[in-house]
Amino acid sequence: MDDSKRKFINICLGGVAALAATAIAAVTYPLFRYYLVPPTDKKSGGKTSIPLNEIALGDAKFFEFNGVAAVLVRKQDGTLAALSAVCPHLGCIVQWEKDRQDFLCPCHAGYFTADGAVISGPPPRALAKIPYSLANGVVTIG
Amino acid sequence: MRRWGIILMLLAACVMPSTQAMGAAPQVIVCIQCHAAQPARLSDPVTLWQTSIHAEHGITCNACHGGDPMDAANSMDPARGYRGVPAPTSVPALCGGCHMGVTKHYMNSAHGRALGRGGPTCVTCHGSHDITRASLELISKKNCTTCHTFDKALMIRRAMVKTDGMLKAIEKRITILKSQGIDTDPLEKKLFSLRNRFHAMYHSLDVTLIREESAHIQAELEKTSGAGGAGTGYLVGVIAVGWALLAALLFSMIKKNID
Amino acid sequence: MEFLRNIYNWIDVRLGTHEIITEKRTGYLLPRNVNAWYSLGSVLLVIFCLQIITGMLLMLYYVPDIDKAFDSVSFIMTEIPLGRLVRLFHAVGSSMMLLVLLLHMFSILFMGSYKSPRELHWLTGFFLLLLAMGISLTGYLLPWNQLSFWATTVATDCASSIPFIGENLVELLRGGKQVGLHTLGRFYTLHVGLLPALIAVLIGVHLFLIQRTGVSTPPFGLEDTSNQWKGESFVYEEHPGGIPFFPNFFLQDMISISLYLACFMVFVFFFPNIFIPSTSYVPANPLVTPSHIKPEWYFLANYQTLKLFPSEIIGLTVQAIAMAFLALLPFIDRGEEKHPLKRPLFTFCAVSGILLWIGMTVWGLYS
Repeated sequence: MDDSKRKFINICLGGVAALAATAIAAVTYPLFRYYLVPPTDKKSGGKTSIPLNEIALGDAKFFEFNGVAAVLVRKQDGTLAALSAVCPHLGCIVQWEKDRQDFLCPCHAGYFTADGAVISGPPPRALAKIPYSLANGVVTIG
Repeated sequence: MRRWGIILMLLAACVMPSTQAMGAAPQVIVCIQCHAAQPARLSDPVTLWQTSIHAEHGITCNACHGGDPMDAANSMDPARGYRGVPAPTSVPALCGGCHMGVTKHYMNSAHGRALGRGGPTCVTCHGSHDITRASLELISKKNCTTCHTFDKALMIRRAMVKTDGMLKAIEKRITILKSQGIDTDPLEKKLFSLRNRFHAMYHSLDVTLIREESAHIQAELEKTSGAGGAGTGYLVGVIAVGWALLAALLFSMIKKNID
Repeated sequence: MEFLRNIYNWIDVRLGTHEIITEKRTGYLLPRNVNAWYSLGSVLLVIFCLQIITGMLLMLYYVPDIDKAFDSVSFIMTEIPLGRLVRLFHAVGSSMMLLVLLLHMFSILFMGSYKSPRELHWLTGFFLLLLAMGISLTGYLLPWNQLSFWATTVATDCASSIPFIGENLVELLRGGKQVGLHTLGRFYTLHVGLLPALIAVLIGVHLFLIQRTGVSTPPFGLEDTSNQWKGESFVYEEHPGGIPFFPNFFLQDMISISLYLACFMVFVFFFPNIFIPSTSYVPANPLVTPSHIKPEWYFLANYQTLKLFPSEIIGLTVQAIAMAFLALLPFIDRGEEKHPLKRPLFTFCAVSGILLWIGMTVWGLYS
């Protein structure tokens, strides 16, 4: 095989490699997005509404907020707190203890106040607060 | 008399081609089983109805005439709600049972106020058994001039032409979008409600109101027609196909030089 | 570079990979007169892989439940980035797979490559065709739209005309009296589990058979085009002085694959509606049968044949006989000649058979 022929073949091979590279690049990212993103519910705009009368005094309501467990507490004194229900220790979901008016993480016995602050146990920090607003007896979270 | 009726009905049932065994083809109601085989005066309503928009949507005889479509022996018993041919003055109320918006506008219009005094009812223009989807063609010289001149009717018709054209264009567009797998459900619902408002409003016969409302509806329709645009699929397609062809070309050049 | 070479050496001294590449690839010689039709097998392999990949991507979001299936497919089509393309690749790909399978089969038919000792190649190929039709049929139901629901109802209903066991068979297929939740469950399991596994195994067997017997010699451009195998003992068909598989024929494979991808993407991007008519965007309704319900194009000939005969059982029997004849062709046609023009009777029959099939398909489409 002479040199010019070899050179030509090498150029073509380079072209093939370039094509393969563009194909991989063109497909990988969209496929990654396909795999990754189940689009969030656009209609509610990432907000959740809960009528206040659904929660008794001293009770808590668990719901899903932006794909993560969250909780709305109506404390004995009538004030509200909207918190992430995910324990910052290892990601278990906390439970509301009505009689003690606090949160218990069942995985490693982490205790939190009704406002999410750590009382005892391994959790490194408080439960994350979620902004909310109250209007006409309906709590809008988010 | 009743015995004859039953014999006739049985005969009709034998003559009628059996419905396809496949799937759950809706059972033919007894009204049709019997009437279809009778002389013209009694079977014509069935033939006419079969071409109607009501037939298309599964609105059968009993919706207007009452009675029991499942029980042959008692189908025309007043005790089962059979009312026969409705009196002309009761027609708007009867149709209004389903077409509520239209009836409200009609009742307030010159047409509705003349009800019982020679004024037209729903069936005067729309027909009874062979009702088709309402269209602008109903407002015609032939229909309107049986009672009055065509001047005002023509004015109304002109005020409606543009909106009607827009509605049709959007309908066509929805079918195309649908055939591309785009979710047109919300669009269709909105179009349906706008078309409904448009058709109902016409019956007021109030030219200024029709002009005003048409403008509103047109504005809404403008918004609708912009929705659900086609993707950039075309350009991507050209690139992808070009890429494959280029690959084929490169491979064949290498092959030619190696062979 | 040095690092990569070290890795390669590390593997080579353990597994002898270099030997595989030289002896089995460059040393793997194909007949000198090998033609482009021989690359259709590779194209099919690529199609199968693409179907597996796109199928798994669809499984990420598809829900096999009668209340959710249609919506989940709509969701994939409209909401997920690239979802529409993935779905079209899978749906159009299934049609293309059957088209290429048929072309592959026709080329084998005319080149007489099915003749002994390659009866098993043909048989496995024939079963692969049946499995491909099966996987298409079962996959067709999954989007749970009007077309898929009623096409499945009609297709499964065919079994009811088999005497004695017909009714029970239909119930077994559908998992109930009518197409419903359990039909979806069954078809889903077949489509994503059993059938792909069977196809993969059968492809393996098919390739193993080709490796054992060697590639057949095409009958074109040769003086003697008769079958060289006399049936006395096992012989590996060698092609001394032939074309090396790698790189020469590998490049032919790549050309065919690229050309196939180009055709395929023309359909996906510009004419997807040929394969996905607009009725398939209407959710399934078990109470309303749409007018003019038709199966996919590859079943149109069967559908038209069924309609031609006065009773379904005759129609089914005729088709069963035709299929059995096709499956057993290498056992029936034991002639030595392979060139299509030197066996005019066979070629005439094959061409008429294919024309009949195409005719029935077109008739089925327009009837």
